[in-house]
Amino acid sequence: MSIEQVVFYFLAATVLFSAFMVVFNRNMVRSIFLFFVTLFAMSGLFIYALADFVAVTQLIVYVGGMLVLMIFAFLLSSKTILNTSAAHKTSLIGLHHIPGMIISLLFFLILFVTIYQANPEEISWIRNAGNNTLVASDNTIHAIGINLMTRYLIPFEIISVLLMMALIGAAHLARRTKKQ
Amino acid sequence: MIPLSHFMLISGLLFCIGLYAVLSKRNAIMILIGIEFMLNAAILNLVAFGKYDKQVMGGQMFALFAIVLAAATVAVSLAIILNVYTYYKNIDPTTIDQLRD
Amino acid sequence: MEALISEHIILISLLVAVMPLLTFFGSLIFRGNVIRSGSFAIFYIGLSLLLSVVVFVQVWNGPSIHEQFHWFTIGSWELRIGVLLNNLSVLMMLLVSGIALLVNIYSTKYMQGDPYIRRYWAYLGLFCFSMLGMVIVDNLLLVYMFWELVGFSSYLLIGFWFTRSTAVRANKKAFIMNRLGDLGFLIGIMIIFSQFQTLDITRLFGNEGLVEAAVVSGGSWIGSAGSMPAEWLTIAGIVFFLAAVAKSAQFPLHTWLPDAMEGPTSVSSLIHAATMVAAGVFLIARVYPLFDDTVLLVIASIGAFTAFMAATIALTQNDIKRILAFSTISQLGFMMLAMGVGASGSALFHLVTHAFFKCLLFLAAGAILHEMAHLKEKSGKDFDPQDIRNMGGLRKYMPVTFITMAIGSLALVALPLTSGYLSKDAILIQSFEWAEGVGGWHRLIPVSAMITSWLTAFYISRLIFKVFFGEFRLSALTSGLHVHEAPAAMKYVLVILSVFCLFPVFSLNPLLFEDAWILQGFPQVESMTRINAFHTVVPAAVNLISIALICLCYKWYAVRQSAPDFSRSVLFKFSQDQWHLDRFYSSVLVSGTTAFAGFLYWIDRYIVDGIVNSAGVLGRWLASGSRWIDRYVVDGLVNFSGYLAGIVGNFVRHFQTGRLQHYLVTMLIIILTLFIYKYYTAAI
Repeated sequence: MSIEQVVFYFLAATVLFSAFMVVFNRNMVRSIFLFFVTLFAMSGLFIYALADFVAVTQLIVYVGGMLVLMIFAFLLSSKTILNTSAAHKTSLIGLHHIPGMIISLLFFLILFVTIYQANPEEISWIRNAGNNTLVASDNTIHAIGINLMTRYLIPFEIISVLLMMALIGAAHLARRTKKQ
Repeated sequence: MIPLSHFMLISGLLFCIGLYAVLSKRNAIMILIGIEFMLNAAILNLVAFGKYDKQVMGGQMFALFAIVLAAATVAVSLAIILNVYTYYKNIDPTTIDQLRD
Repeated sequence: MEALISEHIILISLLVAVMPLLTFFGSLIFRGNVIRSGSFAIFYIGLSLLLSVVVFVQVWNGPSIHEQFHWFTIGSWELRIGVLLNNLSVLMMLLVSGIALLVNIYSTKYMQGDPYIRRYWAYLGLFCFSMLGMVIVDNLLLVYMFWELVGFSSYLLIGFWFTRSTAVRANKKAFIMNRLGDLGFLIGIMIIFSQFQTLDITRLFGNEGLVEAAVVSGGSWIGSAGSMPAEWLTIAGIVFFLAAVAKSAQFPLHTWLPDAMEGPTSVSSLIHAATMVAAGVFLIARVYPLFDDTVLLVIASIGAFTAFMAATIALTQNDIKRILAFSTISQLGFMMLAMGVGASGSALFHLVTHAFFKCLLFLAAGAILHEMAHLKEKSGKDFDPQDIRNMGGLRKYMPVTFITMAIGSLALVALPLTSGYLSKDAILIQSFEWAEGVGGWHRLIPVSAMITSWLTAFYISRLIFKVFFGEFRLSALTSGLHVHEAPAAMKYVLVILSVFCLFPVFSLNPLLFEDAWILQGFPQVESMTRINAFHTVVPAAVNLISIALICLCYKWYAVRQSAPDFSRSVLFKFSQDQWHLDRFYSSVLVSGTTAFAGFLYWIDRYIVDGIVNSAGVLGRWLASGSRWIDRYVVDGLVNFSGYLAGIVGNFVRHFQTGRLQHYLVTMLIIILTLFIYKYYTAAI
């Protein structure tokens, strides 16, 4: 067991534990901050998959952008949102949690079984991808940049258009109506 | 180094946690967070398989696109949640049940 | 003239019968004084009498005349009916029309002033028609029809004053008892028809008739058309006798005759003394060849018993008409006795003489009653005008009535020089000769007949002495008013009848009955040997003791009113209550029948109707059961299916909660199910 594996499993445990805490915490603010922790650990896992650019993008976009946005939206909205969520003194495992729990457990079971049956190491294109495998010394940014402009140009353009649409849409939706 | 199945397991577990959050949380923002978890699990999966695709870099590219889309989703969703709050005065999805047959 | 008569003799005899029927219709249809005064009725009945005299002269002791015509056919059997004129027919025809004329003349005065007099003439006419019709027809079926018609006329006339409940009860009783006899007649007709296939009287009962030709051998009665067991011959005889028992008031069907005295006295004299009650004797004479020895013995015994019984009852009665009614029953018993011992000629002779003297006695009693009723009206006091204890010494006020009634009584007692002596002595002597021939217990019959004659003497002289001798017992009550002599019409009728009670009409020899011309007309029975001893001893014994009894009565009732009082003895009460027979019939038969009728009514009402009602109840119960099924089972099924749809719909409705997370859960459940199913099927 090398130190990388230990760190990997530590990061994985962090992800899962904080995800659990996010879900099972009654306090909304704590959940969001634990979400923050989850995302950080996720990007650590990305690095172990040799996707360093994705990890950083995750940090910038997800953590820096999305999470901050959520925190701001949360904190800058009126206090009643906080109150209503805090007013719910529900038990940890209430009646309305049960269907969700059962379904997610079953889902995980199915996924688990499927993963082991699928046996991903034995998939042909993975086994035969000797030269195609990424190594740590590869320049992923270089590859991503070239592919983005050549092979994935259309999705890139569409994504940008979509972003603009989302921007306009969000701005329009969140405008102040005259009655307010 | 790390077997692929481990990545898949982790992403599966995360996905299920996110699923649980979507199904049984009484707060719309928590549901949003659940959705984010699910997306993150999918992105992890993409990236884990993308390690074996150096030429096309398909996995990582799609991971990027997915991140972007997730961001757009969150933005629009928050705007919607805000509007819902303005109308219903709370963001408990169990009370918003007008759209039924 | 002679040829004319002999050619149309049948037509004349039919006219004799039909004339009174014209009276019946005329009296009902027309009004007017001619009807009310009775001239209409008297004219027709007088015409009948005239024509019957003509027929009698033509037919008596000559060949019998018989004409028939075809009436109807049933299958292969045709019924021929017609008129038969022989000695018996024309004698009865003459008798009936003669007595009827006299009674009609009498009734003009007796029933004067009655508001329903038209009905009276009509009914008298109907009766005469039916009686005359009965004696001339030649078919048993037609005799039966007229027999019933006679019974019906008697019913109408007994209940003439129908507003009186006693009259109504009496005529019902008479009719019902007569119907019992009619039953016998009908059974006899059926037996004869099934045996001989014919009901013609000449063919059956004439000389060399079918009945005589039929033999009884080996236990069966062999006739012309078939045979039946020998008992049926006896039964046939018994049932015809039963008819005569009812009509002629013999024991046990005699109780209607005393009650029939509720009718007017003229009716009683015509019907219940002279003619209708003689119809029974007439029938016996018609079917005489049918009777065998057993039946004849039964006839004789019942006749003798009835005579004795009626005479004993008449001893203690106080109602003048009742005494005469029982006397009638007794004399009819004599006639039956004569028929039974084989002296049918004597029986018919006695019938004729009895008709005259009994009619006379009744009409005289009617005259007395008429006067007593007038006295009751005038004095305004209430007493029974028919009770002989209320009369006495009427000899002074009603001499003609007294003399005629006395002559009639002497005829009844049968003292010499009267017609009754001839006929009754004929019966007595011939019954003694018969008993000698047969021997043993049969001697009891003529001996009882002799005792009955003595009793007859006693009761009739008691009647005469109590009514006509002594002092008028009600003179204190009526304060000096007294009765008068009967009116002319009634008086002269009584006189004419009393003439017929004396011997010259019937025989020139007052002491020997064989010379009577009536007896010449009927065959004598050869089996009776003439025993000279009886011809002197019997009349002597009877008449001497009768005279002695008359003197005793005189002493008791006429001279000093010193009759010993027997009224507390058992025999007296037994006799006065008519041997308790009426009471027995009423309590046993009548009550029994009404109780049975009540029981049947109970069955009909509660059981039969109960079954019907319970069928209805059952139907209603079934209907309510089916209603329950319809309401709860059938409708229940329909309602249940609707309820089921509601339940299911209500259940399914709750899936549409409108809550996002529920929709997600549902969707994921389905996906999971698919995954699991796919996995397991792939795994297995």
